[in-house]
Amino acid sequence: MANPVLQVQDLSTSFFTGDGEVKAVRNVNFNLFNGETLGLVGESGCGKSVTAMSILGLVQRPGKIVNGKIVFKGQDLVRMPAEELREIRGRDIAMIFQDPLSSLNPVLRVGFQIDEAMKAHDKVPADQIAQRGVDLLKEVRVPDAARRIKDYPHQFSGGMRQRAMIAMGLSNRPEILIADEPTTALDVTVQAQILELLRDLNQEMGTSIILITHNLGVVAGLCKRVIVMYAGEIVEEGPVDQIFESPQHPYTWSLLRSIPRIDADRRERLKSIEGLPPDLIALPPGCEFSPRCPFRIEKCFTQDPELETVGPAQRAACWVTMKRAYAEMGAADITDTRPGAASGIRPPKGIEARVADRRELNAPPLPTPASDE
Amino acid sequence: MLTRGTLIYIGQRLVLIVFTVVVVSFGVFAVVHSLPGNAFVSDRVHGQALQILLHEYGLDLPIPLQYWNWVKGIVLHGSLGVSLYIRGLPITPLVLRELSVSAMLGGSALIVTIGLGITFGVLAAVRQNSWVDYLLTSIAVVGYSVPSFVIASLGILIFGQWLNNLTQGALYYPEPWSGTYGSLAELSLPAIALGFYTSGQITRITRAAMLDVIQQDYIRTARAKGLQNRVVVIRHALRNALVPVTSILGPTVISIITGSVVIENIFGIPGLGKEFVESIFQHDYNVTVGVFTIYAILIGFANLAVDLVYTVIDPRIRY
Repeated sequence: MANPVLQVQDLSTSFFTGDGEVKAVRNVNFNLFNGETLGLVGESGCGKSVTAMSILGLVQRPGKIVNGKIVFKGQDLVRMPAEELREIRGRDIAMIFQDPLSSLNPVLRVGFQIDEAMKAHDKVPADQIAQRGVDLLKEVRVPDAARRIKDYPHQFSGGMRQRAMIAMGLSNRPEILIADEPTTALDVTVQAQILELLRDLNQEMGTSIILITHNLGVVAGLCKRVIVMYAGEIVEEGPVDQIFESPQHPYTWSLLRSIPRIDADRRERLKSIEGLPPDLIALPPGCEFSPRCPFRIEKCFTQDPELETVGPAQRAACWVTMKRAYAEMGAADITDTRPGAASGIRPPKGIEARVADRRELNAPPLPTPASDE
Repeated sequence: MLTRGTLIYIGQRLVLIVFTVVVVSFGVFAVVHSLPGNAFVSDRVHGQALQILLHEYGLDLPIPLQYWNWVKGIVLHGSLGVSLYIRGLPITPLVLRELSVSAMLGGSALIVTIGLGITFGVLAAVRQNSWVDYLLTSIAVVGYSVPSFVIASLGILIFGQWLNNLTQGALYYPEPWSGTYGSLAELSLPAIALGFYTSGQITRITRAAMLDVIQQDYIRTARAKGLQNRVVVIRHALRNALVPVTSILGPTVISIITGSVVIENIFGIPGLGKEFVESIFQHDYNVTVGVFTIYAILIGFANLAVDLVYTVIDPRIRY
């Protein structure tokens, strides 16, 4: 785990539309370590996919990487000439996409599309490409691979198409595989098979995987470390077990809380996060999650918190869970009542009632929707 | 590719073509024969003499019977009958020769149409909202807004009159026809004039289809594989964009056939279109009906060909 295979530093990507600059990704920093499985989670539109597309240089106009560095093998992918980046794409860093229905070209044979990925690069010798295509399909457990490789995508089932996508992504034995919602369009049993496949790849071939999903169950099943994104920023990151056990950012907590549980009281309503993610053109001042946050304090509306260490290898960007913030607020009267007081860190878990009291005392009223001027 | 289903489909379509051709040829046969006057007006024959002539060519029979005799001639002797203008001249060789001239022109126009149309459409889409896009789109709009005879006349004015030393007078076919199909110089202006209208339409549809396809997820997949941009555009995007383009190829071929009637007359090209117009004025019934029938057959087969091209371009389409 020592050396990062990919370093994303201060990455900001915006889309310049007629309505203004949509800041889809802002100041994102993270490392991907060798052989790691990293989850990237968040609601739709929080910048997960744009982050991935930025890594591969696939952001299309009107989108543009406005700042930051993406360092792979000592080279900055952001400033690399297009042709050099093309050679890395699909060869060293491969990506598989959600919705295998639309991600395969309908008029080209599956085998052709897999072989093409190898032909575009020089990693696989030309005379081995055809055989490797069949082997890959076998590897991803497509039955009767030698025959099915000549099929068109519409002759494949959804799960098989996703497997073919994975085969394509793996064809050049990439060092990094970015999987963007690889299981979203699939039913649960197929989902499990695909995840198992990814897990095997990671363990047997040592491929580092970035898994982009909004499904926390998928993250729990595959990843060791997770990054939670909200409104284009990282709000929390850390080891999966730890974050699931004690989420420190109210957004992470809300996400976890909204997972439907089979053992829940049937009369209980499904929990959701009220409100919508902010408009990325006109971001609210302070913490972007503050308008929806059940734990917010006054400070949240004016100052944007930065990522700070909140536990072993765990970082979160939230005033409420930050030691420093408590100190400023006069921690003395709060420390006694907090669970986890020994660590000086207060997990949002189970603090709902107490925070509700505090909201009455300190918190400003719920903001009215941004007025149109 | 030629599965059993496809063969059955082709068989059905052939039956349909035969049916269409019979209906069309009978219709035009009846209409042409009902025109006022007769084939021998210019010969100033009257009374008894006219009756004898009419009888000799079977023109005194009821129209359905005449049609039946005409069909029998085609089926039994492969003959479209004789000319009534140059009395007794068998028209089949004449019409076939003219067909070859027209096919040369129409084929060149189709190449111009598809070549220009698809190239322009792809370039405009790839450079969307740039000056390239605006220029090519404007050319396309001019193409399908200005009638072909205007383009042809302007072409003759510019290349035939003002820049005559460029073309060496090669714009006009020698009269009588020398038997050659015309040099590239002779063929190019008529072919461009004829193909300009349809190429405008193809540009428009190719551009729209490309813009749609470029947004598709599989294009992103192709880019993510590290394919070269050229490969992404041509192999992945254009291949898919050709499906809607193919669907207007049928009407395109029809446009070219009908347009050739005008263009051949303007440039004096001795093809089917010129013959068609002349035969109407000359009351040369058999020629008119023969040419019309050939047009019907051509259009029928063009549409069948288009439907078969679909299956080549898009494997999801099967009959």
